Amino acid sequence: MTLQELYEAIGGDYSEVLGRMLKEERVTKFVGMFLRDPSFGQLEEAMEKGDYEEAFKAAHTLKGVCGNLSLSRLAGVDIEVTEALRGGADIEKAKALMPDLKGCYQDTVAQIQAYMDGQA
Amino acid sequence: MRTVLIVDDAEINRELLKDIFEGQYHVLEAEDGEVAIEILEQRSGVISAVFLDLIMPRKNGLDVLAYMREQGLITYIPVIMITGEATTESDLKAYEFGAADIIYKPFEPRIVMRRAMNIMELYQQRLSIEVALAERTEQLRESQEKLVKNNEFLINALGSVVEFRSAESGEHVQRVSEITKVILTHCSYLYPEYRLTEEQIRMISQAAALHDVGKIAIPDAILNKPAKLTVEEFEEMKKHSVYGCEILEKFKQEDNDFYRYCYEICRWHHEKYDGHGYPDGLKGDAIPIWAQAVSVADCFDALVSKRVYKSPYAAETAYDMIVRGECGAFSEKMLNCFARAKEELFTMVETKFEF
Repeated sequence: MTLQELYEAIGGDYSEVLGRMLKEERVTKFVGMFLRDPSFGQLEEAMEKGDYEEAFKAAHTLKGVCGNLSLSRLAGVDIEVTEALRGGADIEKAKALMPDLKGCYQDTVAQIQAYMDGQA
Repeated sequence: MRTVLIVDDAEINRELLKDIFEGQYHVLEAEDGEVAIEILEQRSGVISAVFLDLIMPRKNGLDVLAYMREQGLITYIPVIMITGEATTESDLKAYEFGAADIIYKPFEPRIVMRRAMNIMELYQQRLSIEVALAERTEQLRESQEKLVKNNEFLINALGSVVEFRSAESGEHVQRVSEITKVILTHCSYLYPEYRLTEEQIRMISQAAALHDVGKIAIPDAILNKPAKLTVEEFEEMKKHSVYGCEILEKFKQEDNDFYRYCYEICRWHHEKYDGHGYPDGLKGDAIPIWAQAVSVADCFDALVSKRVYKSPYAAETAYDMIVRGECGAFSEKMLNCFARAKEELFTMVETKFEF
């Protein structure tokens, strides 16, 4: 699997991320770091605890990371969750979106993991 | 190497920025506002710029800005906000809190680099201009002080030339200057209508040192005569006030307060309030307040000093003689100022002066 194929598989914008980072190795390095980014875990935990302010911050951080890596599909779902949590706007909607986001996140992580394994 | 501080809760975002600056800058990292404030507390002196995320756990970006403003750091260290929020409201808030610039995620590293460098340069330049300005101000103040001192020295030297020729002790000029200052200071409290400022009093008391400069033109035989002068001799002696003005006129300066004080003091320090003085027989408040003050000061000092033709009077006696009008007429206001200055003048006679 090439890096471009990975981006296609996870619904990312390859040309955008390469345009900013210029080098494939750099994209690989940063996309690899996404595997240990804790924000999704923090979001899930905060949602379970009912701490929606913390949940908002975690969703917001995830949004920024996805943006910088051009993980467009994941970013799209996360933006919806972030906005639903902003100022406690629509907690029920955020809750309802969580399974979707989790599925998308797990798929993204699995694909990146597979790509990284192939690199090693 | 310059140092930048990167504050973001997501490691990836920090690493992305670090990637831009590494090699050219020393990079410090903080994963939230609290850690950022700790780092600023310890190392604010070496930090050239802060890249700051807005929404973070514990303390957020605005908290960091508030801290930097409180500590006065915001003036010297540019803060570039890196935010996923693109709302006018949060942008305005960040600028209001003192942010230098705002960059949105996802950011373009080369643009971040350019903007950061421009901003750092700008702050650096402003800082060096401020430092240069402070240095220049200090230099100006110093040279101003030196000028005032030199001026004072020259005036005293010039004023004392006459004393060098006479058999009298050499400090009359400086004493008259000091006494004038004390009297006029009381005058400024007692009679605000004269609008005497501290600076004016300083200039007048300096000008007072030149009151007798015209005596340089008086022949030794008259100047140092150890007996009472004849009528003719006294007429010649009286001309010293006019001679003084003739000397000064050679260096006339238009629109210059100091020149005016020097000139009017030289000319009119022997005028009397009732019009019986010389050289012009001015009467009442036609005699400027500074000339009136020097006149009292001159009389008082002459009385308490030893002269070739007389022994010194006690300060009390001298004071009474002046108040009784034995040295000619002074205005009631001037005598009131003199009365207020009495204690101070007596102390001066006792301690400060060698007569």
